[in-house]
Amino acid sequence: MGYSSILDWVKFNDPMLNEFYAYKVYNLPYDIGYKLWELIGGALAWLINLIFPGNGFSVTLISSDLLSNFFAIVFMVVVIFAVAFLINLTMIWEERKVLGRMMDRRATRIGPLGYLQNLADGLKTFLKENITPDKADKKGYMWALTLVIGTSVLLACMIPLSHRWFIVDYNTGLLLIFGLFAIAPFMILVAGWAQNNKYSLLGGMRAAAQMISYEVPILLVFASVALMAGSFNINDIVNMQAETMWFIIPQILGFLVFIVAAIAEAERIPFDLPEAEAELVEGWQTEYSGMKWGLIMLGDYFRGYVACALIVILFLGGWYLPFFDVGMQQDWLPEIVFLLKVFLVFFVFIWVRAAHCRVRTDQILNIGWKVLLPLSVINLVIAAVITYGGWL
Amino acid sequence: MPLKYLDKYPKKAWRSLWVLKPMWVTLKKMFKTTLHRPVTIMYPYEKEWIPDNYRGRPGLKFEKCIGCGICERMCPTKCIDIVDADDNGKTVQRPQVFLGRCMMCGYCAEYCPVNAMIVTPDYELAAYTREELVYGPRKLAWPNATEMMEVHLEERLLSDVKRGETGKNVAFYSVDRPELHAKLCISCQRCAKVCPTDAVEMYEAGVNDKGKPIKLPRFDNDRCVCCEKCMDVCPKDAITIKEVL
Repeated sequence: MGYSSILDWVKFNDPMLNEFYAYKVYNLPYDIGYKLWELIGGALAWLINLIFPGNGFSVTLISSDLLSNFFAIVFMVVVIFAVAFLINLTMIWEERKVLGRMMDRRATRIGPLGYLQNLADGLKTFLKENITPDKADKKGYMWALTLVIGTSVLLACMIPLSHRWFIVDYNTGLLLIFGLFAIAPFMILVAGWAQNNKYSLLGGMRAAAQMISYEVPILLVFASVALMAGSFNINDIVNMQAETMWFIIPQILGFLVFIVAAIAEAERIPFDLPEAEAELVEGWQTEYSGMKWGLIMLGDYFRGYVACALIVILFLGGWYLPFFDVGMQQDWLPEIVFLLKVFLVFFVFIWVRAAHCRVRTDQILNIGWKVLLPLSVINLVIAAVITYGGWL
Repeated sequence: MPLKYLDKYPKKAWRSLWVLKPMWVTLKKMFKTTLHRPVTIMYPYEKEWIPDNYRGRPGLKFEKCIGCGICERMCPTKCIDIVDADDNGKTVQRPQVFLGRCMMCGYCAEYCPVNAMIVTPDYELAAYTREELVYGPRKLAWPNATEMMEVHLEERLLSDVKRGETGKNVAFYSVDRPELHAKLCISCQRCAKVCPTDAVEMYEAGVNDKGKPIKLPRFDNDRCVCCEKCMDVCPKDAITIKEVL
């Protein structure tokens, strides 16, 4: 057998013809992962074939459905996480730039347009000493941290960017996302307790009180949106909005409630009581040093991204623009549309952060229980009336 | 009655809309700073405009200085020393400033009777060693010295205004004058040697018991800058400073 070109090994097959293809519809990250595997695995197989000509292994490596599928899924997960991470970095960059302009100062300056400042910060936190307090409960200390960060990252990866960019097209998507969203306060409480520090315990208490009280209106708004769309599936909700109208129009009340509650849930500035830099040092994060703290901040921004993405999915029509044909838009770049909407919503978050000072503890609970909860109930009633009255 | 809990809500709920006001302010600020530029100055790359009379480090006009030592005496942090300097082969007295201790108050420039000491717009003074911070008479020079860098400390006296001389300004530090107590003087002539402006002139005021002439100093009030050097140097404390004002 003579020399074979590398092009004979990299064929770029259609992933949907794979025997083990798990989705019913086209999946873009899977396709990217599949093609990446074709490139890397094809090059590998070509190299092995070059050294040991005519062996069976290199043929199995690239043309076996099982192996291709396995590596494609591995690469797909990496691609999805990398994209979520990039979105996160962009959001931090956006926050720094916009906040700087709103405060009449220059923002980040490192790299092109200051984009590399985040990486510089990450490097800096990596170089810091990794301290675990002597009196801390080691297991609770590390497990709580791991679960907070892990659930945040998992959430960010589970947000679908479009009808073709998802991990699983699950029918209880909204509930699952909300369930993962609600794990964090308990872990924060555990973290505050495990650190054996007054400030972090107070911060953890405050975080738990605030987040639990704001989860109720969020859940009610979820319910009203699901009621209107008739499904908990994110894809169905977005399609429903594309067919009728954005849910912000009938549910403007729910939108306002959700945006306030989401800011509180993501621990952002007007409601950043758990951190409260001036009073509580760094809140429940006080004893976490070095890269642990860096990862917590990253997780916070992941949760901010999830909150913005949920607002876009539930109220702003997801990855579709109004006044355009849905089938036509699917051929464009719906991911870009979705991300632009997310950044726009995050701009509102930053705007609120720049404009307002921190709310007091009792005021936070008052707003949560006395204002947002009744408003979300009213919103639920409106949604039910509109849906069952047949006016949608 | 269960509805009484509603009383705790604000009566005029629309007043809660004040939360929109700071958001409007920040939005306006954002557009302004994006279209034009923020107030922040990127310091090492661009610098703020500073006026001529900015009080940076002190500077010295070497030729104008008379070496009277008023700056050394007035300096609050005692960072000025009068040192010997070479002026075309002649040894003269000139100030030397240790900028590590200087607090840029500009008193030396204010009190200088001939305005040889100036304030300069130089504020980037970091150095690697302490020795680099000692600015000798030549290093103190500032090449582009302008009129505005001199600090004039002049006042219009109430007595002058009453007398009708409204245009007359007085540098009050220089109106004090030395006064001689002739009985104490031993005619040593040190005051005449030390005077930076040659305002002291020795004259013969008769003879003593042994028939030798007695020399006493006479002060030229127009040239005197009241540096008190003669008073300091007098071995018998025969010269005092009379406060005119």
